Amino acid sequence: MAPSRGPQALARRLHITLENHKGSVNVARYSKGSANYILTGGQDRTVRLWNANSGAEIKAFAAHGYEILSITVSQDNAKFASSGGDRSVFLWDVATGVTTRRLAGHMGKIFAVDFNEDATVVASGSFDSTVRLWDLRAQTRTPIQILEEARDAVQTIHVGPTYLIAGSVDGHVRTYDLRMGELRSDLIGHPVTSVVPTQDAQTYLATSLDDHIRLMDASTGKMLNDFTGHANESYRCRACFGHGEATVICGDEHGQIWAWDLVDAHVLQPNPPPKVHNKVITWTEHHPVNDGEMITSSADGTVKVWRHADK
Amino acid sequence: MTTRLKKKLDELGVNINSRKANENFCLIGTPLPPLEKSKDTGEFVPLWKQEVRDEKGRRRLHGAFTGGFSAGYFNTVGSKEGWTPSTFVSSRNDRAKKAAARPEDFMDEEDLQDLKEGRNLVDTTEQMDLLGGTQAELLGKADDDSEKDPITRTLEASLVPAPKDSVGARILKKMGWRLGQGIGPRISLKQRKLQDAMAYDATTGTKFLGRTLDIPDDDEEANKHKYAPRDTPVLVVKRKDNYHGLGYVPGMSLNESLGDNAASGSDSGPKLAGGFGLGALNDADEDDLDVYDSNPTSSRNRVAYDIAAGEDDDTVVIGRRGDKQKAPQKAAATASQYFRDGSKVLAGFVLSDEPVVEEKWFPVPEVPPGWKPDPRRVWAADKENRQQPAPPPKGLSHEEWKRSKMSADQRGVILGETPLPAAPRSVFDYMSQKDKERIKSITSGLKSGASTASGESAGPSISVTKLEPHVAQAALNGFQPFTNNPAQQARYTAYLRWQASPDGSSPPLERLRDQSIDDYNRELADYAKSASLFKPISGAMAGRFTSAAVLDLGPKINEGLHIPTQEEIAAKEAERKKEEEDKISPKEHAAKLGMYGHLTRETKPWQPAKLLCKRFGVKDPNPEPEVPEASASSSAAAAAAPSFTHPEQSFSAGTADVTAPVQSTSGPRDLNNIGLGEDDTQGQDTLTYERPSMDIFKAIFASDDEDSGDEDGKEKVDDDDDDDDPSMSIVPPPNATKETGTGFISATTILNDEPVDPETFKPKFIPREGQAKKSKDDEKSKAKKDKKDKKKKDKKSVLVSFAMDEDGGDDSLEIKQSKDRPTKKRKEQKQSEDGDDHGMWTAPAATSVAPPVEPAPPPAKADVVENATTNEAGPKGRKRAIDFM
Repeated sequence: MAPSRGPQALARRLHITLENHKGSVNVARYSKGSANYILTGGQDRTVRLWNANSGAEIKAFAAHGYEILSITVSQDNAKFASSGGDRSVFLWDVATGVTTRRLAGHMGKIFAVDFNEDATVVASGSFDSTVRLWDLRAQTRTPIQILEEARDAVQTIHVGPTYLIAGSVDGHVRTYDLRMGELRSDLIGHPVTSVVPTQDAQTYLATSLDDHIRLMDASTGKMLNDFTGHANESYRCRACFGHGEATVICGDEHGQIWAWDLVDAHVLQPNPPPKVHNKVITWTEHHPVNDGEMITSSADGTVKVWRHADK
Repeated sequence: MTTRLKKKLDELGVNINSRKANENFCLIGTPLPPLEKSKDTGEFVPLWKQEVRDEKGRRRLHGAFTGGFSAGYFNTVGSKEGWTPSTFVSSRNDRAKKAAARPEDFMDEEDLQDLKEGRNLVDTTEQMDLLGGTQAELLGKADDDSEKDPITRTLEASLVPAPKDSVGARILKKMGWRLGQGIGPRISLKQRKLQDAMAYDATTGTKFLGRTLDIPDDDEEANKHKYAPRDTPVLVVKRKDNYHGLGYVPGMSLNESLGDNAASGSDSGPKLAGGFGLGALNDADEDDLDVYDSNPTSSRNRVAYDIAAGEDDDTVVIGRRGDKQKAPQKAAATASQYFRDGSKVLAGFVLSDEPVVEEKWFPVPEVPPGWKPDPRRVWAADKENRQQPAPPPKGLSHEEWKRSKMSADQRGVILGETPLPAAPRSVFDYMSQKDKERIKSITSGLKSGASTASGESAGPSISVTKLEPHVAQAALNGFQPFTNNPAQQARYTAYLRWQASPDGSSPPLERLRDQSIDDYNRELADYAKSASLFKPISGAMAGRFTSAAVLDLGPKINEGLHIPTQEEIAAKEAERKKEEEDKISPKEHAAKLGMYGHLTRETKPWQPAKLLCKRFGVKDPNPEPEVPEASASSSAAAAAAPSFTHPEQSFSAGTADVTAPVQSTSGPRDLNNIGLGEDDTQGQDTLTYERPSMDIFKAIFASDDEDSGDEDGKEKVDDDDDDDDPSMSIVPPPNATKETGTGFISATTILNDEPVDPETFKPKFIPREGQAKKSKDDEKSKAKKDKKDKKKKDKKSVLVSFAMDEDGGDDSLEIKQSKDRPTKKRKEQKQSEDGDDHGMWTAPAATSVAPPVEPAPPPAKADVVENATTNEAGPKGRKRAIDFM
């Protein structure tokens, strides 16, 4: 690769297509650690575990009665949580493939779940406009706390080491800071479908249904950058940072994968990007370690693993 | 008692009314049995009182509580001692004598009885009647007998025991009845013949064809005798033990059952399946039929509802004979019919040849491009229709006919009937022509008079409804009823003006051109009426009412569909936009403009659950906001905060101010109670100081495992501390500390005396550890000594601030550390708390005050303090609030 000052080009070579899902794939997550595996969940009510390298489906986790909308993996890769239309968070044991717990309490479908760092707490955000924090240590059936500030469905949650960020359809990104004991709500103005903070938690990337992805300053609430060009008005298209947080990647509703330079917000070449999925790209996730790999899941029922051409 | 007897008794002097005299010696009816004997057997007895007894009155069942141990006695053994096992007797010598014990040997009489009954296989109660008794049976027998040879018959008769007759039969026999005869008086031959002729077979219901009395009628000899009446055959109904329908014969084809193929059906019965034979007495059931029979005659469908195989001509067709040809073809067709989508047609169904009639759909008429809904046009058309309605061609109703006044004669004339020679109908017919004329003239004169009178009022003349001028005037000023119709209103006012000016200054209301006089009159009447109605109330009442606002029903209501104009739509749009703009908050506005930042951000306190903080490993942010107000005044905060900080804080505020008022209130000021400030009960919190939560202890003690042996002692000290604080307070300070209301010594005072001397301090804490050892007096004197010493010391350095005291206390603690290990532990704990607190919120104060402390204690000690504190802060590494800031 030629030495260039700009950010690394996006991995655009299709490595493997995972297409065992029947119907739309709503979420695709890398496993933790070296991230050799992918967990996908879709409309066909199954969570599937794939080998990212070979593309083999290792396991299908079937217990959900409705579509799956969110997955989160614990740091030790031993368990994961999934949620969806059946209004309860399912906790799975990866090895045995059974649900260890089912956390019921939400009144609507659950759009987002996320573990905290040591997987002792799982946060779930639901259509009922609440975020519920469930204790996984104790066997209580009631959540530790219910965050009811959102005025509309909570679409996305990220649990950091000492904070929790929730994006809601009411156009707010709410940061619950445990250490400060303070809630900072930033109005984006349009339904927020995904929030991804940077590693240092100083900024976060908020995707909203007005064709915009905004890089917000977490401490002041100011907008640092605005990424546009893609089409995202009605579906949740999760954006993410590229390798080293130098780029911003997002799949749009036309099946194109867009990439922007984080600093100057220019669309990386090719512009416009080619259409790689037949339908809306629901989830884009970059490999946490490997710089040349990412996955996209789409409503056309496929999950695609992308790699750099030279790898 | 008769009257005579009464009289007699009276004479005898017997009291008639005495009971003896009235005793009745008659017994009527049967007396009831005595009460004790009449035990009600149906009486309810509780379960535990019920007893089970056998027919001999022995109790056979024994519960554990009702003599279970004596069961053997009551049941079988029959002796109080019970059953004793027989002693062992060797059977070696007399083995042959020993008879094998049978079960019967151990049975009692009841068991034996049961056994006997069980052995009776044949029921002895029923009478055996091997030979049939009735004539029908005999008849049947006759048929059988024909097959048997005479030898067997005689053998049978000799072997079979004589039939036992029933009692009735025996009686009948005694009365002369014989088997095969009917019951009743004997009858003549003629009658008997008649009976024979009328006889019918009981089973088939047809004419009896069997044996009858075959004696010729003219047999003279026969006529001499009388004959037994004919026996009535008993109708033997076969028991129905299957589930077939009535009249259904299993194995019979439908044709046979219908009688069609009676000949062919009758000749061959159902063919039975081979293999297992049927018993002689068994009927051929449908199960036994050979289902694999290849015989074409019997391969006919036996069941009516069997589906016909295609080629079978014998398919049962219920219906006309003519259809028989077509039906099989159709049935054959169904077998291979398919729906258009390829699925097979269900067996038994046929595809319809006729296509299903589709519903007709008409396209919606196209609206011409320039068309606008104009209902007025429709109404106009409707009006035209109404103005010239076609006269409905209908017959005259009864009423109309009545009104037509067509007499019967007239009708007759119309119909061309010859007029009846009817009698004259009217009086006029009898009148002469002249009279008629005269009457006519009279009636016409009357009529014309009436018409002229009415013509003047209704015809050309206008009857103006007059109104009082003042009323009209008032109505003019009053309510205007016709505001919705300006033209009418104008006419109304004109009318009122006209009426209001009786002198004729105003022109009278003119009749409209197309207005009939009647209408005009009515209008005037209306106006007059409304004027009188709506005239304002005069006089005193008028002031009490205000006239209602004019009933203006908004914009004029347009008839028909409302088509908003372009301007209206635009205006509405603008209005909505404006509303939206108004509704939008500045926050949203900012977001809309992309001015993210403090405008779009909203920060508010949020309290995470305690458990959540724990799970996230974050210190609970809760105490932070509470502290400022808590440290200011509330005593609760003092309770929560360790004792050391408290005086320091209160006095860092202002030492000088405090002293003066306190002296005035609570007597002589002492260093002992100086720390209390204005509030005498202030220090009480420190005494009622509650043990901090286990978390703190853990945080402090969990790390140093090496001296875990001391932990117990430490705990003990803690406990002692808690216990002793009040006891310490009992110790009276030397200088009348009693005046200080509560008379206790706060922890500060304890600490205050410490700079004096390690030795003096030491005894003070020893009693805490070993209170039992020391006598109270000893303690007291020591305390006194302490106080004295302290006082001495204090007098030397009165200007020592409390922060210094406090620090001095800390120093002394360190000193103690060298002397006394357990106490050191305790103090360490306290200090660590102290340090914590310092770190948390009073750190600046502590550091600022610290330097002046140093002169008071010996410099060496101060070093120790510093070392100690640094040590504490450093390696322990507990998170402090500052760390999070």
